[in-house]
Amino acid sequence: MTSGDATPMRIWALRAAFLAVALAAWEAISASGLLFRDVVPSLVAIGAALARVLGTPDFYANLAVTAQEIGAAVVIGGLCGLATGILLGSNRFLSQAFESLLLYLGPTPKIIFFPVMIMWFGVGPGSKIAMGVASCFFPIAISTAAGMRQIDAVLIRVGRSFRASPWQMIRCIYLPAMREPIVTGLRLGLGVAIIGTLLAETKLSNKGLGYLVIQAYALFDMPRMYALLILLFVLSIGLNALLGRFSRVTRGIST
Amino acid sequence: MAEALLDVRNITKRFATSDGGILAVDDVSFSVAPGEFVSIIGPSGCGKSTLFNIIGGLTGDYEGHVAVEGATVVGTHPAIGMVFQEESTFPWRTVEENVAFPLEIGGMVRAARMERAAHFIALVGLTGFERRYPAELSGGMRQRVAIARTLASEPRILLMDEPFAALDEQTRLLLGDKVLQIQQTLKQTTLLITHNLTEAVQLSDRVLVMTYRPGRLKRSVTIDLPHPRDSEVVSSEAFGHYVAQIWQDLREEASRGIEDAESRVRLRGARR
Amino acid sequence: MTVRALARTRNGARAFGIATTVAAIAVVEGLIRGGAINAYIVPLPTQILAALPRIIAEEHVLQRFWQTAQEVLWASLLLAAFGIALGALLYRFRLLRQAFEAWVGALAAAPIVLMYPLFLVIFGRSTTTIVMIGFAAGLAPVILKTAEGLSGTRKVLIDVGRSFKLSPAQQFRKVLLPAALPSVFVGLRLGLIFAMINIVGVEFLINFGGLGQLINELAERYDLPGTYGAILFVILASVTFFDLTARIERWLRPVE
Repeated sequence: MTSGDATPMRIWALRAAFLAVALAAWEAISASGLLFRDVVPSLVAIGAALARVLGTPDFYANLAVTAQEIGAAVVIGGLCGLATGILLGSNRFLSQAFESLLLYLGPTPKIIFFPVMIMWFGVGPGSKIAMGVASCFFPIAISTAAGMRQIDAVLIRVGRSFRASPWQMIRCIYLPAMREPIVTGLRLGLGVAIIGTLLAETKLSNKGLGYLVIQAYALFDMPRMYALLILLFVLSIGLNALLGRFSRVTRGIST
Repeated sequence: MAEALLDVRNITKRFATSDGGILAVDDVSFSVAPGEFVSIIGPSGCGKSTLFNIIGGLTGDYEGHVAVEGATVVGTHPAIGMVFQEESTFPWRTVEENVAFPLEIGGMVRAARMERAAHFIALVGLTGFERRYPAELSGGMRQRVAIARTLASEPRILLMDEPFAALDEQTRLLLGDKVLQIQQTLKQTTLLITHNLTEAVQLSDRVLVMTYRPGRLKRSVTIDLPHPRDSEVVSSEAFGHYVAQIWQDLREEASRGIEDAESRVRLRGARR
Repeated sequence: MTVRALARTRNGARAFGIATTVAAIAVVEGLIRGGAINAYIVPLPTQILAALPRIIAEEHVLQRFWQTAQEVLWASLLLAAFGIALGALLYRFRLLRQAFEAWVGALAAAPIVLMYPLFLVIFGRSTTTIVMIGFAAGLAPVILKTAEGLSGTRKVLIDVGRSFKLSPAQQFRKVLLPAALPSVFVGLRLGLIFAMINIVGVEFLINFGGLGQLINELAERYDLPGTYGAILFVILASVTFFDLTARIERWLRPVE
C-alpha cells in the first residue's frame, strides 16, 4: 500500500503516461489493420477531421441549434421542476400523494416518449426541446423537493413570523436556502437534457450535433464521427465541470 | 514483588505539526503485575489515547520500549488485546461471529470456535443473543460484544481505551461491575484508560494519574479496598478519600487543559 | 374515520394521488371525445387500455421483455466484474485513485450513450452493441462507489483488524470488503439502472432488441394506441426493475 500523498508531479506524470500509452496503442491498432480498417482510424485522420469540423461554419450553426434546444429545455424543465419541487417539498400531503410518481417515473428511458413528442410538437426543434424537458424535469424536481425538506425549519418560521407572502417566501427564503440542492439538480438535469436532446436529434432531425453524428455514421465517415464525439464529450464534461465550480462558489457564499 | 507482566519504559512520543510539533507523551514509565487492574486517568489532551495506541502497537515511531514478560514488543502483539472506545463490532457479523473472529483467524474450525465463543458470550452476560446483529443491540451490549471478542483471543494483557465513554451513566456502572467480575474470575491483567474518576477507583488496584500535555506520570495511587467492590464499598469513606485525593491532582491538570484551550482560541482570533 | 383524518394518513395521501391521476386521465378521455384534443395525436385512454391485451398476444411482449432482461443481465455481469475490480484497484493504489478518480467522475457525467453509432459500427446491429452500451453507461458509478466504500471503512474497524494481527489479504477479505459491501451494492444498483435506461433507449434508437424496439416498430406503423401501450409497458417494467433492485439491495445489506 503506498503511503503518503502523491505529489502533483507524480499524478500528472501518471496521467500523461496513461494517455501516451492509450494513444500509442490506438495508433498501433489502427496501423496494424487488426480491426476493420476504418473502425480505428489513425490519430492523424481524426485530427484532420477535427480541424475540418471546427473550420467550417456548418458545425457552429448546428452547435447553435443544439445549444438553443438544450437551453430552452433546461429553462422550461428547470422552472417546472423547481415549481413542482417547491410545491411537493413544502406540503407533506402532496408529497406523499405524488412524489413517488416522480421517483418511479424518473429512472425510465425518456427517449421512448419521442414518438409521442413528435406527434405533439412536430418534427422540428419542438420535439427535441420536449425531450430535453422530459429528461431534466425529474432530477430537478426530485432534488428541489428533497432540498425543501432539508431547509432549517427555523428559517421558515422566521419568514412566517414576518407574514411573508408565498412568492416572498420562495424568493427570499426557499431559493437562497436551497442553492446547493438546486445546483446539484441542475447539473444532473443538464446532463440528462443533453443526452435526451441529442439522442432525439440522432433519431429524427436535420439539424443539430446529434444529426451531424448520425450523418457521419450514415456516410461511414469514421474520422468525422470520432471528431464530433470528442467535441461533444469535451463540451458536456466542460459544462458539468463549470457548473461544479459554480456550485463550490455558491457554497462558499451561503452560510 | 511479582515480576511485571507489562513493562512500559521511557515512552516519549512527538507529533510533527504545521506549527512546530507536539510532545504528546514525555518519558512515561510504569509496569503492571500479573492479575493487576491498573487504570490510567488524565484530562483530555493528556496523551492517554496516544499511550493506548503505543502500547497496543498501532502507533510506532516513539522513544522507549514496551515489554511483555521481559521481551520487547514492536507493533501489535497477540499477548495484548485491545478494546476501543468507538463502536468496533463488525456490523455485518452476528454476535457469535464477532466474538469468534480471533478464533477464526487462529484457524479453529467453525463448530469448535462457535462453542468457544459461546463461553465468552456467557461471560459478558449476552447468552441468547448469539445470532443477533450488532445493530439490533444497545450501545452497552455492543461494547460487551467487543470485550468478549477481545477476551476470546485470550490475551495476557487486556488494554481498554475508555470503553464506556459513549455509554450513559447507569450502563457504564453496570458494565464496569461486570468487567471487574470477569477480571477477578479470569485474573486478567488489565490496563484501563479512562477519564472517569469513580470508575478508576472502583475498578482498579492501582491508579496512575497523568499530567496535561505533555503527558507525564504524575502519581501512582494504590487502591487498597476490598473485593468485591460493591455499592457498600463505593459509598464508603475510604472510597471517597481516594477519589478526593486523585481529584486534587486531576483538577490541576484539567484546569491547565482548559486554560490552554482558551489561550489557543484567543491566539487564533488575534491572528485574524 | 373522518375525511380529514384520512387525508392526514400516508395511505390517504397515496389514495388521493392515485385518485387525481385517474381523474386526470378521465378528463383527457372526455376532452378527446369532445374533440378538444385531436384523437390522432392522443388516442383515447380507453383505446390504449384495450390495445394492451392485443399487444401482449400479437407482439410477444413476454419474449421481448425477456430479450431486454437478458441484455440487462449480461450488462450487470460485466458491470459487477469490471466495475468492482477497477474500483478495488483504485482503492489499492492511492496514486491511481488520486490520478484517475476525477476522470471516472467526469465519465459519469458524460453522454456515453451518444456513442451508440460508434458501437454500431464496431459491433454491428446486434445484442452485443446494446449490452456494451449498457455496460459503458453504468460503469462509472460502480467503480466510484466501490472505491468509496473501501476507503470509507471506519478506522476503528481497521484498527481492530490490526490489533488481531491480520495479514493484508485477511484485512481485505474480512474487514474492508464486508465493510464496503453496502456502498458496492448502492453503486451496482445505480449502474444497473443507468444500464437499463440506456439499453431500452438504444433498443428504440437502433430498432433492435426487446421492448425498446417494440415501441419503435409500433410508432413506425402509426399504431398510436399500441405505441402508447408499449410505452406503458416499458414504464411498468422500469418501475418494477427499480423497485426490485431496491429490495435486493436492502436484503443484501443485513443490518448497517
